[in-house]
Amino acid sequence: MREFRKYVLPGDVIVENNPHVKPSMNVVKIDDRIHATRVGIAEVSQNTVKVIPLSGIYIPRVGDFVIGKIIDYSSLAWTVDINSCFMGYLLAQEVFGREFTPSRDELTSKFNLGDVVACRIVNFDRTRDPLLTVADKDLGKIGDGELVRISPTRVPRLIGKRGSMIQMIEQLTRCKVIVGQNGVIVVSGDRDARSIVVKAIMLIDEEMHTGNITQRVKELLGGAYQ
Amino acid sequence: MSLMSEEGLRVDGRRWDELRPIKIEVGVLKNADGSAYIEFGKNKIIVAVYGPKEAHPKHIALPDRCVLRCRYHMQPFSVDERKNPAPSRREIEISKITREALEPALILEDYPRTVIDVFIEVLQSDGGSRCAGITAASVALADAGINMRDLVAACAAGKVGGRIVLDINDEEDKTGEADMPVAYLPNLKQISLLQLDGKLTLDEYRSCLDLAIRGCMSVYSLQRDALMRRYFASEVDV
Amino acid sequence: MMMAKRSSIIVEHLKKMQMNELLAKGKRVDGRGLVDYRDLRIETELIKKANGSAMVSLGNTQVIAGIKVELDEPFPDTPDKGLFICNAEVLPTASAYAEPGPPDEDAIELARVVDRGIRESEMIALDKLVLISGKKVYAVFADVSVLNTDGNLFDATSYAVVAALLTAKIPRYEVKDDKLIVTDESITLPINTVPVSVTMARIGSSIVVDPTLDEEACMDARITISTDEQGRVCAIQKGDSGTFTIEQLEYAANIAVNKGNEMRALIKSLCKLG
Repeated sequence: MREFRKYVLPGDVIVENNPHVKPSMNVVKIDDRIHATRVGIAEVSQNTVKVIPLSGIYIPRVGDFVIGKIIDYSSLAWTVDINSCFMGYLLAQEVFGREFTPSRDELTSKFNLGDVVACRIVNFDRTRDPLLTVADKDLGKIGDGELVRISPTRVPRLIGKRGSMIQMIEQLTRCKVIVGQNGVIVVSGDRDARSIVVKAIMLIDEEMHTGNITQRVKELLGGAYQ
Repeated sequence: MSLMSEEGLRVDGRRWDELRPIKIEVGVLKNADGSAYIEFGKNKIIVAVYGPKEAHPKHIALPDRCVLRCRYHMQPFSVDERKNPAPSRREIEISKITREALEPALILEDYPRTVIDVFIEVLQSDGGSRCAGITAASVALADAGINMRDLVAACAAGKVGGRIVLDINDEEDKTGEADMPVAYLPNLKQISLLQLDGKLTLDEYRSCLDLAIRGCMSVYSLQRDALMRRYFASEVDV
Repeated sequence: MMMAKRSSIIVEHLKKMQMNELLAKGKRVDGRGLVDYRDLRIETELIKKANGSAMVSLGNTQVIAGIKVELDEPFPDTPDKGLFICNAEVLPTASAYAEPGPPDEDAIELARVVDRGIRESEMIALDKLVLISGKKVYAVFADVSVLNTDGNLFDATSYAVVAALLTAKIPRYEVKDDKLIVTDESITLPINTVPVSVTMARIGSSIVVDPTLDEEACMDARITISTDEQGRVCAIQKGDSGTFTIEQLEYAANIAVNKGNEMRALIKSLCKLG
C-alpha cells in the first residue's frame, strides 16, 4: 500500500476495498470505504489511515498539559475553563492536601476568579468532566505574561518535531513560551520581544499548512534582532 | 405573465436545469466556532455554529451523544412585506426539518453530554432559503471541526409552467405548480430532507427528485470549493 | 436574547494586568489611543428587498440594519407626522453567551437607546412623511441585528441604522381625489440631521472611546452620548453599575461632540454622501 497524504473534507473517501488498512483518528469506516470526518490532511501509511484536523475545539485527553482560567468555585472545588466543551475541575483537597476542611480552608486563598493556571488532566472519560491537578513544579498559577489563543489543532505545529519550533522561538527572542495542548499560550519576557512572539504564533495559527512556515517564522523573529 | 418563454427560458432567463448563481464563503464570523455565508440567487444567509459545548440547562443533555439544535430565523427586512421578528410557525417548522436534515451527517456519539447550536439567519429571502440554509449550515459545521460522516447539500426542484425545473425562485414558487426541496449526503448517497408542495404524477415526482439530486451534487462541488479555498491555499495535493 | 452579561465573562487576570499597565501610559491592548475608534466599514444597499440597508463592522463587532417603509395610519394624536419604529436584536450568532429567545433587559436597553438617539435628534423629518393628513403616512421601520459582538454595540448599531436611513429609497406617491397613486419615482427619506453616537467606558480613572468586549468586561461604567450636526446633545445613556464624576461627564460630553463630528464625516463618506 503506497503511503500518501492529501487534503480532505468530511465525507471524502480516502481508502476503499483494503482490509489491511485500519481506521485511526478522524476517519470512519462505512462498508468497505474509509471516509474522512473532518477538514484536514489525510495520512495513509502501510496499515493505518488518519486525518490531521485543521479545525475543531479541544477535546481533553488524560495526561495533557493545559492552561485554564478559574471561572467559578464551590466549597470543594474550582471550575476551570480549559477552552473545551467540557469544564475542568480542580479539587480543593488536591491543592490543600488530605487535611482540607471547607469550613477552615478558604479556596480563594489559593486561586481566585480570573487566575490563569497551568494544569494537567488526570482523569477524563465519557461519563464525567475532566479532573485536573496542579501538583507538579511546572504547574500552578501563572503570574505574568501575555495570553494568546490559537486553534488547538495548531499546537503540534507550534511545538514542532521534538520541540524544535518552540525552542527556536525561545532562543531567538529570549522569551519563555508556555504552550497548553488546549490552544492557550502564555508568553513572558521583554515587552517588545513578546509582541514579536505573539505575531509569530498568530502566523502559525493562520498559515500552518503552507510549505515554508518554519522559514517564515525564523525571518519574522530574526528581523527584530538583526 | 408567462413563467416559461417560447425558447424555454424562465422569468429570470435561466434554462430548465440551471441553478441560480451561488457564492459560499467560510469562516465569516469571528466568535462562532464555525460559520458560513451563502448567496443563492437573491437569498443571502449567514450561519453560525457554536459547539460542541456544555448543555444549559443541564437536563437537555443526553448521556451518550450530543444534542443538535437548529434555529432558522428571518430578519424583518428580508422579505417583501416586513416580517415580525418573533418566530413564526413556518420558521419553527423549517428549524425542525433543518435539524433533521443535518443530524444524519453528524457523528453525535463523539460528543456525549454536550450541545451543538446551529443558527441560520436569513438576511434576504427569495425562494429556496431552507435549502440555502442547510447548505451553508453543513459548511459551517465542517468549519467548526465537528466530526461528520458527510457534508449535506440541498437544492429544490419543482414544476413551473408545466415543466419540471431546477431551483425555484420566489416568483416561480408563488405561481408554479410544485416545489420539492431536497437535502442529500453526496458520498453516502442518502436523502435527509424531502418535502413537496403541490401536485405531481409519479413520473413527474421521479424526474423532480432526480433533478433535485443533480442540483445537490452541483451545490456540493461549490461547498467543496469554498472549504478548500478557506483551508488550503491551493488545491494541489500536499 | 441575552447579551454577554458582564458577570458571566471572567477576564483573565493576566489580561487585566496588561490592560491597566497600558492604560496608565495612555495606551490600549490593541494599540489604540484612548479616544480612537477601531476600523469602521460600511456597506450599504446590500439587501435589495429592503428600502434601505447597511452592514457595519466596527473592529470585530458586526451588525446589519434594514429599513422597510410601509403606508400606515398615523397615531391619532399626531395626524401630521409619519412613523418611525426602531428595533434592535442581538442574534445568537453574535457570541457564545447570546441565546435565542425574547430580548432581555440588555437587548431592550440597546434597542431603546438606538431609537432615542435617532428620534430625539429628529433625524427624519416626520412631518414630511405625510401623504393624507390623519389617514395615510409613511411608516419607517428600522431593524438592526448584531451578527458578531466585540463590544460597543451601541455605536455600531446606531451607525448601521443611520447609514441605512441615509441611503434608503422609497416610492413616491401622488394624491389624487383622496386616493394614493404610486409613481415610478424613487425618493430618499427627508433627513434633517445626522446624529452620531459616541460610547465611552470608564476603566479605573481612564475613559476610553469605543470599548472592545474585553474592555467592557473590565469597565466600571459606560456612557453613550448622541449629538447632532449643530453640536447639540440629543440623547444620553449612562450604563452599568459604576459611577462618573461631574468632571468625567464634562470630558465625555466634549469628546462626544468632537469625536462625533469626525465619525459623522466618516460615516457620510463611507455612504458615499460626501
